[in-house]
Amino acid sequence: MTDKKAKKLDLSITNETVFSFVKTFIAILIALAITFVVLCVVSKNPVNAFITILTGALRKTRYIGLVLERTVPYTFAGLACGLLFKAGFFNLGAEGIFVMSGLIISIVAINPITTSPILHPLIAIVCGALVGGVLMLIPAYFKAKFNANELVISLMLNSIYVAIATYVVRNYFLSQSTSLIATPTFLETATIGYIIDKYHVSIMFILMLIAVIGLQFVLKKTKFGYQVRLAGTNPNFAEYSGIDSFKLAMKTNFIAGMLAGIGSAAQILTQASNFQPSTTVTNIGFTGSLLAMLGRNNPIGILVSTFFIKYLEQGTSVLYYNDTSVPSEIIAIVQGVVVLLVSSQYFLKKFREKKLLQEGLNEHE
Amino acid sequence: MAETILKLEKITKVYGNGVVANRDVNIEFKKGEIHSIVGENGAGKSTLMKIIFGIEEPSSGTVEYKGKPANFHGSMEAIKAGIGMVHQHFMLIPSFSVVDNIILGDEPVKGLFIDKASAVKKTQELSDKYNFELNVNDLVSTLSVAKRQKVEILKTLYRDAELIILDEPTSVLTPQETQELFEQLRGFTKQGHTIIFISHKLDEVKQISDRITVLRNGVSKGTYNNDELTMAQLTNLIIDRDLENDMDEFKTHKDFGGKNALEVRNIVMKHHSKNILDDISFAVKKGEILGVAGVDGNGQVDLVKTIVGLEQVEYSGDVIINGEKVNDKTVKERRNMGMAYIPEDRMVDGISGTLPISDNMVSTYYDRDDVSKGALLDNKAISRISDELIEKFAVKAKNNAVAVGSLSGGNVQKVVVAREHNTIPNLMIAEQPTHGIDIGSAELVHHKLIELRNEGAGVLLVSADLNEVIDISDRIIVMFEGHIAGYFPDANNIDETELGMYMLGVKRQTPEEIGGALND
Ligand SMILES: Nc1ncnc2c1ncn2[C@@H]1O[C@H](COP(=O)(O)OP(=O)(O)OP(=O)(O)O)[C@@H](O)[C@H]1O
Ligand SMILES: [Mg+2]
Repeated sequence: MTDKKAKKLDLSITNETVFSFVKTFIAILIALAITFVVLCVVSKNPVNAFITILTGALRKTRYIGLVLERTVPYTFAGLACGLLFKAGFFNLGAEGIFVMSGLIISIVAINPITTSPILHPLIAIVCGALVGGVLMLIPAYFKAKFNANELVISLMLNSIYVAIATYVVRNYFLSQSTSLIATPTFLETATIGYIIDKYHVSIMFILMLIAVIGLQFVLKKTKFGYQVRLAGTNPNFAEYSGIDSFKLAMKTNFIAGMLAGIGSAAQILTQASNFQPSTTVTNIGFTGSLLAMLGRNNPIGILVSTFFIKYLEQGTSVLYYNDTSVPSEIIAIVQGVVVLLVSSQYFLKKFREKKLLQEGLNEHE
Repeated sequence: MAETILKLEKITKVYGNGVVANRDVNIEFKKGEIHSIVGENGAGKSTLMKIIFGIEEPSSGTVEYKGKPANFHGSMEAIKAGIGMVHQHFMLIPSFSVVDNIILGDEPVKGLFIDKASAVKKTQELSDKYNFELNVNDLVSTLSVAKRQKVEILKTLYRDAELIILDEPTSVLTPQETQELFEQLRGFTKQGHTIIFISHKLDEVKQISDRITVLRNGVSKGTYNNDELTMAQLTNLIIDRDLENDMDEFKTHKDFGGKNALEVRNIVMKHHSKNILDDISFAVKKGEILGVAGVDGNGQVDLVKTIVGLEQVEYSGDVIINGEKVNDKTVKERRNMGMAYIPEDRMVDGISGTLPISDNMVSTYYDRDDVSKGALLDNKAISRISDELIEKFAVKAKNNAVAVGSLSGGNVQKVVVAREHNTIPNLMIAEQPTHGIDIGSAELVHHKLIELRNEGAGVLLVSADLNEVIDISDRIIVMFEGHIAGYFPDANNIDETELGMYMLGVKRQTPEEIGGALND
């Protein structure tokens, strides 16, 4: 019974994976239903508003392009958070990394260090990734060495980083052409252009796909992924099994920091023209943790959830152009409800158990 | 006959992964009786108890308590109704002290505040009354498994429950401690309390029970009066075959050159200027099983941690594996030298409950050539090896993809033993290796340990189960208060009462006699 049964493709609801897909799907439906109810209250034309949210992103190719482009940095943020959560770190440092990596990337981007339009962004990305990786080691070190709470430390660092970045920009790299605290405009050579113009697909988009598939592979198939699984689910067991938890903590946090750093580059070099420490990359890192939960820390899940959220966001902003009675925050409702339902243990549990009862009893009779 | 206090009718339980744990179980519990539930690992004992206690809901069937239907939602309701339960796997908060754990949810109050002083007094008195030797101000995280078990028991006794469920309360207690507990239990039944008792140690079951219910594969094989059943009949009801009694027959006697797999030399460990380990020296030869007997808490835990490389406290002395000093080596390096380790607390150290069996089956050798290639894992090989081990060690599981945490306690233990056995060790450190394992499987584990020994590995067996130590060891040392109190060069010729005297510190051998543990 052990092997033959397990190998057959099992598409019934009692299968764990199928169940979690169905659960997510139903969660989305419920979230949309709630959105509709809210629309009925706030909008004069709720049906139209609802349809706009759902399909607005498809109305112009440019909109689709915006969705694809915006998916990139958020997916990187989600991957960084997902990896950390999987390894058992509740580290929300991605937010601060986006700022600090962003600072370095911008400094590279405003200086004529090379005239090559390939080398220039490449150097910026590499610098951003390295700075991200190294900075993420700080909360990891305190956690691994002194068992300090990484959540507290990472949140503290987030505010410190914004302060540092602001200070550096104001005192050393301040633009003369604006009254904001911002760097001068990036050099032409440093910005990243599109490979497919129509859909805003840049090399960063390709890089994102590689990161998603690569991380999925690493987590599922490699020794490193296995170590992450052990340490993330029971650190005592990892220690007992002989895994060097300190080294592992350093490695995972470094990789997560690099992912966040690259995400920051994706935001800055494709979607911004200069760097403002307090706005350019704000909230991407935090949203990343939400996206990680939504995607259940699974790289492909994170990509899909990010795309989904950005898609609805675009629909919502299309709606906002036409019907200002609808607050653009409505997207937050969808997001919140879906996260709640997906992460809830109890949602749909009763239903599944009933099915199981029948199956279980039949099987043994 | 006495009135019925609890009645289970046609209880069926199907778990989330489709496992049928109980099927149409009917049992009546009489007021004032000690009623044992016995059965193999995975027979559904704990599940049934969790249903009574309101932690699991039955899929169908009814529970009647004191003549009224009782479907408790959550243990709080059950506790309010006068039911207490000692869980097989501890439900304690490690960062809390003993007393805080015991009074949790039922704190004595004085005005607005918790009356800590009286709580400490009351729990300490309770502990002393049962000779549990607990300091109720200690943090639970610092306690050994046996001590934790006692805290669990105290927690239930403290609440003075009318119906007390004890799910394997004695699995790591020594015989003396068990006897003390039994006396208490008898006292309770005299006061009209009812006790449901679960154990794999059938002599205990025979000794304490009024009636016994046998479960097999989730189905009740009937309830019997204790005096109607012989031990052999009981065994047969549980496992359907006879047990072999004499382990010695499995032992072969080859010469492995008298080399030592493990040497421990002059280990001294101090904690708060108290000697936890006091000049411990002994050797485990290749091809032998050295048993460590002793009441729990006499230094065994720290000794084992020092040997495997997980000790945090400073010590002096040497640990030598296969002739090489390993004091500064990590767990991994020691494992690479051929060491395997079955830890006493399987749920904390031995597994990761949310991961599938397959992941848990290779954690200590996932980088070995047969399960990995370069940086990659060979998931196919891991799955195949897991299936083989599940088969070989009779782990009761649907397939290798189910979470280990969903297995019954004894089956979790089998996973740990199977994995460590499959590291192909030349030194096996086995700490309570049959903790919670049913009689049939305990026999299997003993065979496997002896097999390792026959093939030339050294086995260090640390166990609270005196019978186990005497049955399968070649030589035995007894630990008392951090030192070796006695050394017995021939486990076949041992007087149990004599051994007991050393365990309790009544007798102590001379340093010359004890020196044999290292030099024989
Ligand atoms: N939470 C759970 N989810 C899924 N299956 C479970 C769960 N708990 C137990 N089971 C399954 O139910 C069956 C009965 O388990 P149970 O723990 O009741 O056995 P037991 O008789 O107490 O065994 P043991 O002597 O090993 O403690 C086992 O096959 C086990 O794998
Ligand atoms: Mg059990």
